[in-house]
Amino acid sequence: MIDTVPAYGLQSTNISQQEILQRKKTAVLVDGVILNGPIVDSKAGEKFVEDACKIIMEEVIQKATDVTEKVCEWQPPEKLKKLLDLEMRDTGEPHQRLLQLCQDVIRYSVKTNHPRFYNQLYAGMDYYSLVARFITEALNPSIYTYEVSPVFLLVEEAVLKKMIEFIGWKEGDGIFNPGGSVSNMYAMNLARYKFCPDIKEKGLSGLPRLVLFTSEECHYSMKKAASFLGIGTQNVYFIKTDERGKMIPEELEKQVQRARKEGAAPFLVSATAGTTVLGAFDPLDEIADICEKHGLWLHVDASWGGSALMSKKHRKLLHGIHRADSVAWNPHKMLMAGIQCCALLVKDNSDLLKKCYSANASYLFQQDKFYDVSYDTGDKSIQCSRRPDAFKFWMMWKALGTTGLEERVNRAHALASYLVDEIKKREGFRLLLEPEYSNICFWYIPPSMRNMEEGPKFWEKIHRVAPIIKERMMKKGSMMLGYQPHHGKVNFFRQIVISPQVSREDMDLLLNEIDLLGGDL
Amino acid sequence: MANGDPLDCPALDKEAGEEFLEEAFRILMEEAVKKGTEVAEKVCDCGEPRARVLERCRDIIRYSVKTCGCPNIPRFSITPCSLITPCPTVTGYVAFLFRYTYEIAPVFVLMEEVVLKKLRELIGWASGDGIFCPGGSLSNMFAMNVARYQRFPDCKRKGNWALPRLAAFTSQEVSQWGAVGFSPGAWEQICNAKSKGAVPFFVNATCGTTVLGAFDPLAEIAEVCSRHGAWLHVDAAWGGSALLSRRHRHLLDGIERWAPCQAVGCNLTPSAGLLQRCHGAHATYLFQTDKFYDLAYDTGDKTIQCGRKVDCLKLWLMWQAYGTRGLEGRVDRAFAYTRYLVDEMKKRPGFQLVIEPEFINLCFWFVPPSLRGRQGDADYELRLGRVAPTIKERMMRKGSMMVSYQPHGTKVNFFRQVVTNPTVTKADLDFFLEEIERLGEDL
Repeated sequence: MIDTVPAYGLQSTNISQQEILQRKKTAVLVDGVILNGPIVDSKAGEKFVEDACKIIMEEVIQKATDVTEKVCEWQPPEKLKKLLDLEMRDTGEPHQRLLQLCQDVIRYSVKTNHPRFYNQLYAGMDYYSLVARFITEALNPSIYTYEVSPVFLLVEEAVLKKMIEFIGWKEGDGIFNPGGSVSNMYAMNLARYKFCPDIKEKGLSGLPRLVLFTSEECHYSMKKAASFLGIGTQNVYFIKTDERGKMIPEELEKQVQRARKEGAAPFLVSATAGTTVLGAFDPLDEIADICEKHGLWLHVDASWGGSALMSKKHRKLLHGIHRADSVAWNPHKMLMAGIQCCALLVKDNSDLLKKCYSANASYLFQQDKFYDVSYDTGDKSIQCSRRPDAFKFWMMWKALGTTGLEERVNRAHALASYLVDEIKKREGFRLLLEPEYSNICFWYIPPSMRNMEEGPKFWEKIHRVAPIIKERMMKKGSMMLGYQPHHGKVNFFRQIVISPQVSREDMDLLLNEIDLLGGDL
Repeated sequence: MANGDPLDCPALDKEAGEEFLEEAFRILMEEAVKKGTEVAEKVCDCGEPRARVLERCRDIIRYSVKTCGCPNIPRFSITPCSLITPCPTVTGYVAFLFRYTYEIAPVFVLMEEVVLKKLRELIGWASGDGIFCPGGSLSNMFAMNVARYQRFPDCKRKGNWALPRLAAFTSQEVSQWGAVGFSPGAWEQICNAKSKGAVPFFVNATCGTTVLGAFDPLAEIAEVCSRHGAWLHVDAAWGGSALLSRRHRHLLDGIERWAPCQAVGCNLTPSAGLLQRCHGAHATYLFQTDKFYDLAYDTGDKTIQCGRKVDCLKLWLMWQAYGTRGLEGRVDRAFAYTRYLVDEMKKRPGFQLVIEPEFINLCFWFVPPSLRGRQGDADYELRLGRVAPTIKERMMRKGSMMVSYQPHGTKVNFFRQVVTNPTVTKADLDFFLEEIERLGEDL
């Protein structure tokens, strides 16, 4: 029996009775634990990995890109709890059962790689970034120092340098973060540190009330960051946008003046290049003028829109971005680098990130190492352990080249244009506004409402259309796209085009399917 | 056709992509998973054509440090990952998803709930809340923020300007959080802060400090916290795994009686709903209130992150594979490794313990023959401090193993040996001792 050589989980068939007896004879027992034999059966473990990889290959990678498969296999929460055996017990399960669990997890999960998953600002399958993720998962590195993560640290440096080039800076700094929200928070904190370096040690006591400015269309992480950093959400002044969702520079000027009159200290403007819902791009040049005039840090949240920089045709959307002090850019969105892959780029080249965040932990950042310790860049992060997220992007870049990545962006735009043209031709579909990026926001007006007068009652009815169609599409599993109400406008759909797997046929199907699901409303 | 682009077909060659994946899997299995566990292999070896990209994969793996989770290369023991060290290989591959709402990640939202509940049970709480964070550092920050919010809910809107000066307290032993130091005999530091007009709102106790592996006395600290109305946070990022061991969980005695804690890469609190109130921003494009399922399952608004990786899957699948008892076995085994090494070191000349370990951080100096018996020399400390960096350089160039060292307080460089990898055997531990002797005997 295996109780003399505890083979935890991974129940091995390879440990024979003779081997067990042999180990018993030569056993070195410490605190009741036998130390002279591994307790993990490597062969069984490797077999498990291979078997599971087969499942992943078939069920996730091959099937999930197949349009005849469902995007999701919807189950309500209480039912799903019963279907999944989630309980964590005292003893482990056999190999076959574990593989079944893997299959169940995959089965009931949403297939974000599916060509008809349009729900969020990420989608699709990139094989190269996937391999990169497998490699980093297997190697399990943390990139705080060169000694533990030599390759990934150098890769991060190279990727940041390249991204900085695309922004238009000659030099700069940066770091990869667990999310655009965290990048935005970093930028806010950096700007505050630049404004008053004493804050790092003394905190906010004794300082004037700090105020920052951002578009009313900004990502909600600005609010979270403001409250997290002790600035307070009411000290985030939201600037009005025009009918296309872009920040109005004159309004920004007004608000800065207002803040000064109130005796507050404006310190940061966060412009958005590619807003979450409408995909709008703030006018960066005019905003930069105002920032320069008032000595404010300009951060550009290009988490979503930054990838347009890859396209010579569309990069003009971010005209003026080189004037920013910091930029957040997420390759895991439009470029499909695999979640998470989010960079914060900083123009300042005086080690500002390090000065702001370093704590000089002596157990990581010893100064007497035998290599150039300037490569130990982990101290510029608020994190200790950090994932090598840049590697996925690097691998993709190696595989596709700048041209390949540019083509992706151009294709997404082209498909978006196609869909817009089709929506304009089709009865019952109405654009919210002419998109400038790959967010296509529209209402579906069922036949029964098409001749209604467009008063409050009409809009009340339209408001209920999207949620019902969404419920139907999810239960059918045919596709997923998001909807939301937004600044006084009732629920509308937000279609996002990203993946190069998506074709014109999928766009036609999208419209047909909405018609099919909502035609009777 | 729009803009001259062939939009009728997908722009990805699925077959070629899948073939690439299969070849890359083979390389991965060979180079990272299989070879990565071979002791004979070195720990560390210092829009192109597909063959070239595959070659790059091989290079990347070759030049990377093999820390591999499970199975694990036996001779890497540089950082104190959680003792459970969730198996990254299979589970990581499956966890592609990003998670904020039930509709996007139904399985993982439910799974996180179950895992957090299990962890709270281990602590000894009947109910509560929690969330997985990208790192212990962020978990600690969450805790500080939640503590501030609970004491002063207005700070979310008004910022710190609406508050008196706040004071947070933590041990001098704490890794990256230097603050006001305290010891059980110096609680008057808190009173001092109060007398200067500051409000003591947060005390961070550490269960398993990074370098020495020390456990703060929770009961006494909790007593002081309740006297002053301060939130007690327990940073058990490192030591929390000891809760799995019936033999060793006494190290965290008292943890169930007190406030939130951080363990195994997640933030846990006995107060339900607090995380949501503190961090929630109700983004309408994610958290619509007219969805067709129970919105309580859209848990993403409890965090400061938007998208979040599915970290709970790794731990859950491992738990399925090993069971609580299996994981307990790992923890007990790690303690056994330390016990064995301590006993061996006491027998061998040249190994000097910094302190008797209470956890699995084994801190020691190697004193080469030339320095033995010379403690009285004026330059003894200086010379001793140079030993570890030199041995470290030699072991890395040789690629035979990796152990970390650091100075600490007034103590010169010493090694910190931490063994969590369950594939490590007595032979590996003996090798470790002999290798240090080999690499350092001529110093």
